[in-house]
This record gives sequence, structure tokens and C-alpha cells, in this order.
Amino acid sequence: MMMNSQDKITASQAVVVLVNYILATGILTLPRTSVEKVKSPDVWISVFLGGIIAIIAAVIIVKLSQKYPEKTFYQYSQDIVGKWAGWFLSLLIIVYFFTISAFEVRIMAEVTSIFLLEGTPTWAIILPFLWIGLYLISSGINAIARLFEIIFPITFVLFLLIALMSMGIFEIDNLRPVLGLGVMPVLKGVKTATLAFLGPEIMLLLVALMKQSEKTKAVKVVLVGLTIPLIFYVITVVMVIGALSIDGVVTRTWPTLELMRSFEIPGLIFERFESFLLVIWIMQIFATFTITYFAAALGLAQLFKKNIQPFIFGLLPIIYIISMTPKNINDLFKFGDMIGNAALYLFGVFPVILLFISKLKGRKT
Amino acid sequence: MKRNNMKGRFRLGLLLSLLLLLLTGCWSSKEIEDLGLIVGTSLDLETDSSSREALEEQEARNSNKELITITNQFVTSETTGSGAKEGKKEQKAYKNVSETGEAVLPTLRSMIEKNDKRAFAEHSKVIVIGEDFASTFNLTQTMDFFLREIEMRPSGLLLIAKNRASNILESIEPTTIPAFQLVEMMKGHKRTTKILPPMTLAKLQGKLNSRASFLLQSVTSENGEMKFAGAAVIEGKTKKLRGFLTGKELEGITWITGKGKGGLVTSFYEGTDQPIIYEILSMKSKIIPHVDGDNISFNVKIESEGRIAEHWVLSEKTFDNKFLKKAERATEKEVERLVKNVLEKIQKEYQTDVSGFGTRLKIEYPKVWKKLKKDWDQTFSEVPIQCEVKITIKDYGTSGE
Repeated sequence: MMMNSQDKITASQAVVVLVNYILATGILTLPRTSVEKVKSPDVWISVFLGGIIAIIAAVIIVKLSQKYPEKTFYQYSQDIVGKWAGWFLSLLIIVYFFTISAFEVRIMAEVTSIFLLEGTPTWAIILPFLWIGLYLISSGINAIARLFEIIFPITFVLFLLIALMSMGIFEIDNLRPVLGLGVMPVLKGVKTATLAFLGPEIMLLLVALMKQSEKTKAVKVVLVGLTIPLIFYVITVVMVIGALSIDGVVTRTWPTLELMRSFEIPGLIFERFESFLLVIWIMQIFATFTITYFAAALGLAQLFKKNIQPFIFGLLPIIYIISMTPKNINDLFKFGDMIGNAALYLFGVFPVILLFISKLKGRKT
Repeated sequence: MKRNNMKGRFRLGLLLSLLLLLLTGCWSSKEIEDLGLIVGTSLDLETDSSSREALEEQEARNSNKELITITNQFVTSETTGSGAKEGKKEQKAYKNVSETGEAVLPTLRSMIEKNDKRAFAEHSKVIVIGEDFASTFNLTQTMDFFLREIEMRPSGLLLIAKNRASNILESIEPTTIPAFQLVEMMKGHKRTTKILPPMTLAKLQGKLNSRASFLLQSVTSENGEMKFAGAAVIEGKTKKLRGFLTGKELEGITWITGKGKGGLVTSFYEGTDQPIIYEILSMKSKIIPHVDGDNISFNVKIESEGRIAEHWVLSEKTFDNKFLKKAERATEKEVERLVKNVLEKIQKEYQTDVSGFGTRLKIEYPKVWKKLKKDWDQTFSEVPIQCEVKITIKDYGTSGE
């Protein structure tokens, strides 16, 4: 009991966890994936709309979780739809969580082996990453949240700094005309943009892990926790397209890194800034990896009503195997799209249905 | 107690031996003494038949494919260190290695057979393309390697050389490195209207993917000294070199785009034909498209503020406002002439839009643009363009003479 009450987080820690979860692979590829769909410079509007949709979905998730403030989704889903259906749903979400953590690890390995550790085998990059993650999450949500509190300000400052530095090659004409071809192209990109905001689903368990007195602030948590990534994404998309133009973005594998490599500022201690972006980005990937890993392990522990430690160790090889499955980078991107589509149903549709059912049930009793 | 101590020592020993592993140094590190830093690259079309025969013999096949010659400019530990050594013949600060082949990377790789240093392109600053090469090959194809390779930074510059590009990378001054010199000279675009803003590989990607024509800075070599000479016109459809613009014509382009940051305009005083030199302090231009049904026309409004930097007119004084007005008028006329001159060339002779008219149309009339963008260069060549210039002279320095 003592342990349990200690291992809770505050509302501001929840915001940080949410932000760090959302910011991940998307920041490097979003400019390309969204321009592919939109095909006009209005991508930033799509990103904005995507963020709004994610906020709505997040508020629904929070409302659902607030009905059962002491329980995580794995526990209360059984109360709502019965034992077996709840079990099945929880299992789906657990699979989702550890799949996404495997995906993040692999993307991290791909980017570092291209830009930083040329010649280092993939397994040698992945394994230390996994082990450190295991070490972190075995100490529980509080340790995770505290680490995220260190990561977050570093990300914030460095990101804004390098975004500002790229102003030198920014051309406003690349972002015009605004809405030149009407709103239809913008709407085409909304789905892709929304997928960049994967992350609010963590509120399914985070509400239960928040301190008693702060649970009522959960809606505020998602509002703030999604607005920050929204600002980050809009800045990224605007700066990347402004510098590289939409024609240039579509053929670059990692457009945001490309932007950072496109300018040199002599005179400062560093002339080149992509390593800064990679540093904060790897920290963000680590954050996303650990929180999803933790969510999956916690889910299994709660489903089987056992201690979490064996599940943490048991999941590690599974995550490793899944992360090594995609054969090449195209497969990897496809794998990412698949996860995104699964998330749309899991967290866009199910929470609404569950909230509806629980409302009905509440009226009956 | 003692047991505890033993355990502690064992742990310490284990930790220390594990730390040893970290001391082994970096995985896949490269010593700088063993590297040949590529600072510049030039691409040429191979016209010499003897090298073709040699290559065919080596590859044991016969083909009529065009061959390319690549020259890499290396800076190595030897070239940088040896300049100061006494008693030795002064050595060049760079080392150029050339190789001929069918595609970019295989050619670069065969330089391994000629060079003891490991080529390292992270510090590559500039790519110079020869005239023949640019008019034979599609740039999208030939630049593919440079845009794909991780080691090549997108901040590198692209230039077009008149004649052979490898000549540009040679210098009679042994201490200068031509590739660095080019990059430094490029910075001059802030003080003259005759140099284009730099085209980096990052910006090039967007240009290559769109169908728009564009300009690249062109450079020429005169008696072993390089010199910027106008601009090269790359046609959007074929991505090949269409022709060159002279320095004067490039000035016209800069006035149309309004992207110049400084420079001079030399006009001649009415009647006496004595020169008046106007120095640009600021430059603004607005291209206004007019669409009326199927008829498209453009208005170019150019505004500039500046000062009289020099004048040879003896009969007048800059203290006199009348003279300033006359000087403004003369400068306006000169700018107008520059603009009309280059428009004539790009519309009638080259039939390519390299001065941003299409971009303006795209921004103001996106729907019209969507219909026209496929054959824009063709349409552009017949579009009427009006030009208005307004020059304001703000001051005349420290002399009122």
C-alpha cells in the first residue's frame, strides 16, 4: 500500500509524460508524409486540424478514465463490457503498446546507423537502448516521469534554437499560396497529421497513476500536453517547407534532418546542427519507447494480477524480435502506417463506445 | 565484516574491468591523417577518345555511352602542412584527382586505385559542372548520387562552369584552395547584382522536382584565375543547360526578383554622357500578374533607394535637387533597359521563366496556374510584361560637388 501511494505522479509530470510520448518519429518524417497527401503548402493547416482532432479524442479518453479514477483501462474495461471482452480489448491494447515500442526502437536504430554510427551493427545499437529502458521502467512510473522531466526542457530549448537558426534559408514564397486550391487538399492530410499525435492513449492508464488530488486536472493535462507538440509540429512543418519547398520535401527520407544539414553557421562553436536535433530526437524516442514498454508490461501484470517485474523481462525479447522484423526501411514505414491505422480504431472508436456503455450502465444502477 | 570487504572488492574489480572495455576507443573511427577531405568536385563530359578506349579495354565491353570525368579536390594532412617547410619546392595546398567512368559513384570509387587517402566528403563545399556535361545530361539523373549520399551535405553549392569544370578547380596561386575560394566569392552576392544568391543542394532538390526552369551561378576560368560570369539557364522540362546569361543580363534578373542586397547602376548623364554611379541601398520588386480570361500579363514594379556614389558630371552639383531628380531619371532608364534586355532574352531566345513570374502567378491565381504549369515556359514566352521603375536617391556621401 505504501509503495502504491508513493508511485503516483503529479499533473505537471503527466503533461511532460504525454508530450514526450507524442514527440517521436513523427517530427522527422511528418513534413514528407503530410505533403505527400496534401500536395500544397497548406500542410501546416492539416497539422493544426490533426492536433484538434487528437485533442477531442484525448478528452474522450480522459472522461472515460475519470469515471474509474482508481483503475487503469485494463481493470475497468472488464467492468464495462464484461470479463472476457474486457480481457480481449486490454490484450489488443497491450499488443499495440509493445508493437509501437518495437517500432520506435527500430526507427532509432535506422537513423543512428545512417547519421551517427555508420558501420555499427543494428543489434549493437538496439540492445543497450533496450537494456537502459528496462532499467528505467523497472523502477516504476515515478522514475520514468522524473527522467522525462529532465528530457523535456532540453528538448524544448534545443529545438527552438535550431528551428530559429534555420531562418536563414527560409523563403516565404515556398509557403504560399495559402488555401490556393481550396480546403479539399488540406482535409486529405488530416488523417496523416492526426497520426503524428499518437500518444493521448496513455491517459487510459495515466489517470489511475495520478495523485488523488490532481485527477480532476486530467482534462487540462491533455489540453496542455497536446498543445505543446502541436506547436512543435507546426514550427517543424513551416520551417522545413519554407526552406526546402514542397517539391523538395517529398523526396527526402528524413526532411527535418535534411533541413538541419542544409545550413552552416560559421563563427559559433558548432557550424553544424543536425547532431543537436539527433540528440533531442533520440531522447524523445527513448521516452516513447520506455513509456509504451511500461504500459504494455503494466497491462500484462494487471491482467494476470501478478508482479510487474517478470513481465518487464519477458517483453524485452519480444520487442527485440518485432523490431528486427521489417526487412528494409520501406517495410518499416509501412509497419508504422499499420500501427497508426490500428490506433485510429483502438483509441478513436472504442473509447467512445465504452464511454457510451458506461453512461448507460451508470443510469441503470 | 571481512566477507563484506571481499565482496566489495570483487564488485570494484568487476566494475574496473568493465570500464576497460570503454577505453578501447571509438567504433569505426577514422584518423584525420589518413583522410583525404574532398572539398570540391567537378563533373565534365569526357571528349578525349583515348581515355574511352582505355576504359573499354579495362571493362572489356564496347559501348557508345557518354563518359564522365570527375575531378575531386582533396585537402590532406600533407597538402596543408607542407607549405611552410623549408628547402622544398612550394607545394600546392590541394591535390586534384581525376577519373573517368560511366556513372558518378563507380568513377569516384575507382579513385581508390589512384589515391592513398580515404576520401571523405563530409566537408565538401562545392560541385562545379562543366558546360558540355550540363547540356548533355539531365541534372536529376547526374545529381542523384550527390542528393542520396549521406556524406554529402545538402549545404553544398552547385555552380556551372563555362568550358571545362576541372579548370576551375586549378589555381596558379599554390596557397589557395579553389573550392574554398568559390564559396567565399559566392558571399559577394550581398554587394553586387551580378552574383546570384547561392543555390545549395537542398534548394536544388525542390527545383529539380518541379518543372520550373531556374538559374545557376556560372563561373569561368581566365588564365588560371576563376571569375563569376553571369548565370546558366537550366530548362525545367529537360533539366539541361539551355544557355548562359551575361553579367548585365543577370543584373536585370536581380532587379526583377528584387532579391539583390546591394550593387551599382551606372547611367549616363543626359547630353554630356558622363557617368553617374548609383549605389543600391535597398531594392524591392513586385511582380503583379493580371489574368483576364485566357489573357495573362504581368506588371513589374521595382522600387529602390540608394545614393550617388560617384559622378563625373562637372556642370552639376549634388547639392542641387534638380540634378538629383535628373540622376534618378537616368538611373530609372538604365534599370528599365537592363530589365527589358533580359526579358527579351529569356522570353524570345531561351523561352524559359527563370525570374519568378510563374511563382507569382501560382501565388495569386493558383487555379489558373494549375492549368498552365505544364507548359508554363511556352506560355511565358508570349506573355506581355510591363515594367515600372522608381528610384529614390537618399544621399550623396560627403561631397556636394
